Amino acid sequence: MPREHLLKIGVSGIRGVVGEFLTPSLALAFAQAFGSYVGPGRVVVGRDTRTSGPMLQHAVQCGLLAAGCEVVDVGVLPTPTIQIYTGATRARGGLAITASHNPPEYNALKLFNSHGLFFNTYERTELLDIYHQSDFHQAENDEIRRVSHDYEVPRRMHVECVLQHVDAERIRARGFRVGLDAVNGAGSVMTPGFLTDTLGCELHAISIDPTKIFPRVAEPRPDTLGDLAQLVRDRRCDIGFGQDPDGDRLAVADENGNVLDNDDVLALVVDAALERHAGDVVVNLTTSSVVDDIARLHGRRVFRTPVGEANVVETMQAVKAVIGGEGSNGGIIFPPVHLCRDSYTGMAFLLERMAATGCTIGELAARLPRYYRKLGKVAFEHGKLGPLMQSLEEHFPNAKLDRSDGLKLILDDAWIHVRASNTEPLLRLAAEARSEDRVEQLYGDVHRALES
Amino acid sequence: MRVQKSLRISHVGLRGVVGSGMTAAHVLDFAAAFGTFLESGGPVVIGRDPRASGIMIREGIVAGLLACGHDVVDLGVVSTPVIQHSVNRLNASGAISIGASHNAAEWNALKFFGPGGTYLSTAQAGELLDIYHLRKFNFADWDRIGSLRAESGAIDRYLEELSRAFDFDALQRFKVLVDCCNGTSSLILKRLNEQFGFGFILINEQIEGVAFAHEPSTTAKTVALQLAPLIKAVGADAGFLFDVDSDRVALATDEGRPVSEELVLPILSDYLLPRGPGKLIVTNLSTTALLDEVARNRGGRVVRVPVGRQAAIDALAAYRPEQIAVAGEGTGAVMMPQFRFVYDGIASMLAVLSMMSGTGRKLSEIVDSYPRYCILKGEVPLVTQEVPALLVDLQQRYSGGTVSMIDGLRVEWPDRWFHVRVSNTEPVVRVICEQRGSPPTALYETLMDTVRSYAA
Repeated sequence: MPREHLLKIGVSGIRGVVGEFLTPSLALAFAQAFGSYVGPGRVVVGRDTRTSGPMLQHAVQCGLLAAGCEVVDVGVLPTPTIQIYTGATRARGGLAITASHNPPEYNALKLFNSHGLFFNTYERTELLDIYHQSDFHQAENDEIRRVSHDYEVPRRMHVECVLQHVDAERIRARGFRVGLDAVNGAGSVMTPGFLTDTLGCELHAISIDPTKIFPRVAEPRPDTLGDLAQLVRDRRCDIGFGQDPDGDRLAVADENGNVLDNDDVLALVVDAALERHAGDVVVNLTTSSVVDDIARLHGRRVFRTPVGEANVVETMQAVKAVIGGEGSNGGIIFPPVHLCRDSYTGMAFLLERMAATGCTIGELAARLPRYYRKLGKVAFEHGKLGPLMQSLEEHFPNAKLDRSDGLKLILDDAWIHVRASNTEPLLRLAAEARSEDRVEQLYGDVHRALES
Repeated sequence: MRVQKSLRISHVGLRGVVGSGMTAAHVLDFAAAFGTFLESGGPVVIGRDPRASGIMIREGIVAGLLACGHDVVDLGVVSTPVIQHSVNRLNASGAISIGASHNAAEWNALKFFGPGGTYLSTAQAGELLDIYHLRKFNFADWDRIGSLRAESGAIDRYLEELSRAFDFDALQRFKVLVDCCNGTSSLILKRLNEQFGFGFILINEQIEGVAFAHEPSTTAKTVALQLAPLIKAVGADAGFLFDVDSDRVALATDEGRPVSEELVLPILSDYLLPRGPGKLIVTNLSTTALLDEVARNRGGRVVRVPVGRQAAIDALAAYRPEQIAVAGEGTGAVMMPQFRFVYDGIASMLAVLSMMSGTGRKLSEIVDSYPRYCILKGEVPLVTQEVPALLVDLQQRYSGGTVSMIDGLRVEWPDRWFHVRVSNTEPVVRVICEQRGSPPTALYETLMDTVRSYAA
C-alpha cells in the first residue's frame, strides 16, 4: 500500500490534512520558530478561504505573539496580495495560511521574508533547524505585542502595482465580457472588483462566495474548469479566468469555452512581457518549449530550474529575469509587480494583449507554435529510483541530459522529464514533441522502460 | 535541586510566569485537552484580564477549542465572575478564564469551568489533566471545525442579575471609593455608574497590561498604599480594592483604616447567615477563628477544609446548595450560594454595602463590633524532603490540642490555633498562628524556630 503523505514538514514548510495530522499545535510551533527567526517586529498574516483557516490563523498568531512579534492580520486575501503587502510595509515577514491548489481537507503555511519573497534554500534550512530544536524565543508579559488588522490597504496596493504595468484605459475602453471561477477562494474577495471597477469588464462570475467550500477540484486545469467553460459559452464571454483557492495560479478559457493549456497561457504572458520589457525568462524544466520559441523571437534567453515556485523565483532574482513561471502549474511571475506567482498580473496582461492586438484570446493562442504534450505518473518502489533513472539514460544514449531535478532527456525533436514527486512515491512524467505521434511514441517508450 | 515555581499544572488549572514558565504550547495543548474533555453541544465562553500576555494566550485558546470542533464566544476583557455568569446565560458547555487574578503582571493562568459556570470537580479536573498529559486530542476534521464570535454586553447582563439580588436604590446613596488595580473591576463599576446610577469614585481605573499601579493582591497592606489614605479626603463611606480579575475584594473603613483581609469572610458571614439559605460556612484551615465565633452567635457551623480552591469546591459538592450560607478564604475571596458559588468580588462588595444599609451602621462600627483576633503569618524556604519529619515533630510537641492533619498540621486550643503547611503556589512552608485578644508571639516564635531548624 502506498504511503499516504498526510503531513509533510520540511524545508518547504508545513503542509497536511487538518485534524489528526496538521494540528494547531504544529502550526503554533512552526509560527513561533518563524517569529524567532525573523525577530520581534511586524509579521503579516493572511489566509485563503479553507474552513480550517481561522483556527490555524489563531494558532499562528499565538506562536508569533509568543515569539515577541506584532501581528498584522489581513484576513482572507490572495497569496500574492499578502506577499506584496508584506514587502511594501517593510514587515519582518509574512505568512499565508493556504494549501494553494490542494483539496479542502489540506492546509499549509507559506512563509515570506521582509521583502515578501520565499526564503532561499539556506534560510529555509535554518528555520527548520530552529523548529526542530524548539529553540524559540519565549516573550515575557512586557514583550507581548498586539494584533492589528488591515483588510483594505493590501488589495489597493496590489491593484496599484499591477496598474503600473498595463494600460488600464485601453482595457476599459473595450468593455470585455469576462467569465470568472474563483473556486470560492481568496480571489472571491478581490477578483470581481479588480475586473469590473479597475479594468471595466462586464463580469459573469461563479464560485465567488468566500464563506462556501470549494465547488470543484481546487487546481485550475482544463479538466476541472468545465463549469467555467460552460459559463463562457452561455454568456458569450470574450475570455474566462479560473483561479486556485489562494489566487496565485491562473487558467484561461477562450471565447469558445476551450480551456487553454497552461503552458500556452504562460507563453502568451511571456510574449506580452517581452513586448514591453527587455530581459530574460526563467521557467521550470517541465515547462513547454513554446516559451523558448517566444523568447527566441524577442532575442531573449530562457533559464530552466527545478520544479517549484521557490526555485524559479531564486533563479529569476539571480539572473534579473523580466518574466518567469511554471507552465503546467498556471504560475506567472512578473518581478516588476512582485517576485511571486500572480494571477492578477496574468489577467491584466492577457486583457491588454487582446485590447492592443484586436485579436480574440483564441486567435492569440492559435498563433503560438504548436507542441503536443503528455503528462502522467508511474508508481515506483522505494529504493528503485536510482536504477530506474540509470536504465532510462541507457535507453536514450544520444539524448542531452539535465539532472538538476530528476532526469530530463532532451532529444532533437522532443523531450521527456521524469521526476519523483515531493509528496508521494510517484514518478511524474512530462513529454513534449512537435507531433502527436512522436509524443505518444516517446512517452510510451519511457513508460515501458519504467514499468519493465 | 531547587525547583523553579514558574509553572504549575494542577487540578486548579495552569499557572505560570509567561515565557520562562508558561508557554504558548502549554496554553494551546491545555485548550485542546479541555476541548477534548468537554461534551459537544453549546459553545465555550472565553474572556481575559488585561495582562498583555492574555492577547497571545487568547489566540492559542481559540485555536485549540476551534480545532476540537467547539464554537467559541469571546467576551474580551472581562472579570472571571462575568465569564461564569455568561456560561449559564449562553447555555455554554464550559468556559476558560485567562487571568492571574492577584498575581503580579508577569504571571498568567487558565481557569476552567464546566456547564453552569462552576469550577471543575477534582475528578473532572483529574480527567482533564490526564488528557493533557496524554496529548491525544480529538481534533475535528476540516469540515467540523468550530467558529468564533465576539460578544459585547456580557457585563450588563451580569449586572442585571446583581440588580435583582441587591437593592441598588438603597446602595446608591453611599459614597464609595474603589482601587481597581488597573483590572476588570473598572469596566464593571463604570457600567454601574453609567447604567445603574451609582457614583463609585475610581482610582487606578485605567486598564493596563504591563505595569499595574501596585501589587494587585487583596490585603490590608495593599489597601494601605493608595486607597486608605484617600478615604477621608473624599469623605467616602467605604473603600474597596479588587484584584485584577475581580474575584477578590479588600476593604477600608470610613475612617481610612485598612481592614484585615481575614475580616472580609466573617463580616459577610455575619450578614449572610440570617439570610440563608443554609447554616454552613465552608472555609479552609488557615482562616481566622473569629469565623467560629460569628457562626456560634448566628446559629451557624464552620466546615474547615484544606487550603486551595479545589478543596472548597469538593466540600461544597458534598452538601446540598441550600445547606450553605457562604464559602471563602481569608484572602477576600468569597462565594455566595445566590451567585452559583463563584468567587465574586463585586457581589461581595454589594453585600457589604447592603449590610451597612440594612443595619444603618458605618463600616468602621461594623468592623469594631467584632472581638480582636491577632494573626501572625510567616514563611520559611522549603526543604521538601524534611516536611514529613517536621510535621511529626510538631505534632509530638503540641499533642495537647485538637489536631487536624488533612493539610499539613493544624492544632487548635480554645483561644488560639496554629497551622503549618506547604504552600500550593510558592516554595515555602507557611506558618500561621492566631489568638483571641492578644498576639500569640511566644507560640509563633517557637514555631518559626522549629520550622527553621528543618531548613538548610
